[in-house]
This record gives sequence, C-alpha cells and structure tokens, in this order.
Amino acid sequence: MKEQEALHWIAKVFEDAPERITSATARKDIAGWDSMGTLILLAELDEKFNIHISEEQIEAMQSVSDVLGILRTNGALEAS
Amino acid sequence: MTFLLLDRIVSLEAGSRIVALRRIPSDEHYFADHFPGFPVVPGVLLTEMMGQTAAKCLMADASVRGKPMLARIQDATFRRWVRPLQDVEMRAHISSLQPRFANAECEAHVDGELVASARLMFAFAPADQFEPNPRDTVLERFLAEQAA
Repeated sequence: MKEQEALHWIAKVFEDAPERITSATARKDIAGWDSMGTLILLAELDEKFNIHISEEQIEAMQSVSDVLGILRTNGALEAS
Repeated sequence: MTFLLLDRIVSLEAGSRIVALRRIPSDEHYFADHFPGFPVVPGVLLTEMMGQTAAKCLMADASVRGKPMLARIQDATFRRWVRPLQDVEMRAHISSLQPRFANAECEAHVDGELVASARLMFAFAPADQFEPNPRDTVLERFLAEQAA
C-alpha cells in the first residue's frame, strides 16, 4: 500500500474527510480518534493487515504519522 | 419481554464458537405494532440475539477481562422474516479475540435457512462497573449439563 492509500484508509477508519488527514495530523485534531476510534483502528489493523500491537504502542500513538509507522514496520506500507 | 433473548446454548467452545436457540414467544408486545396482522421479529432484536450469543461465547473464556459490550455492527443483513413461535438458531464464530476487543461472525437460521447475519465487534468494559457476580442462567445451565 502506498502512503496516499493509507491516509485514505485512516480517514475512513476515523470517519473523517480524506482531505483533512495528512501524515502530520495529530490525534487531538481528529474528532473520531477517541477511545472508540482507537478500538476501531485496532480492529481494522487486525482484520485488514493482521497487525496486533501492544498496549505501549497503543498509548504511544499520537498522530497519523505514528499509525503510518506501525503499518510500515509491519510491511503493510511501502517505504517512502 | 425480558431482555434475555436466548433460551439455551446447544454447543460452546469458549472464546471460539457457539450455537444457541431461541423460540420466539407469540405474545411479545412489539408484535402488536410490528406489524399489525403480520407479526415479524424486528431486525434489531435478531441482531441483539446474535450479539447475546457471541457475548456468551466470550464470557465463557477465562482469558477475557471485562464484560463484552456491543461496539460495532457491520454488514447486517436480514434475508427472511422471522415469525412468532419459530425456532431461531444463532451461530457465532469469534474471528478475533484481543485484550481490548473481539470480532464475531454471526448468523441466525430458521429451519436450516439463513435469516440474518452480521459482523459484530465487542469492546471489553471493566467488570468493576457492573453488579458483582451477576447470574447468567443460560450459561450456567449449559455448563451444568456438560458437567453432568
């Protein structure tokens, strides 16, 4: 998956407009990234990519860039 | 009507899969309005029946921390009407079980035919938010039958 596709996927997960989501977007600026949004992100990572992350990684995710990093580390995102 | 929508568990592999049954009572009060002269079980109640079934499968798993609460409904489909006095068989397969959530593929069947299906996601709410040690008569009865 290329980064642009990943950004669209992240926007869909958080039910946000794709044009609002960039790699620099912070968690606090995404209305749908609340506790339920985090659960849905975890479920989608599991279902779509078979990626499971630790509690520490969950707590550390504070931006879209962090999500991209998890995708990249797990081979779901092409290196930029 | 109580909000326990299962009569009994037929088979159970804790945290993996479950089959449960429900005979639809003919005197459910909602049949008066849903619909006059043509009573059918509302799709939301079929979804709840599937959800309660999957939740029992999760609650039977000792590794599950907290109470499974329905968090997301995906791809819900209602294929046939379910009428009073019909026997509904709910089947749930836990497709993912993680510390914070679980996903379940659920189906409801009548006379061997698929009547409804949905993919349900559960979040685990801290157990201390609920009444301590609530009775789960359906699960208790199944486990007692297995032990006998």
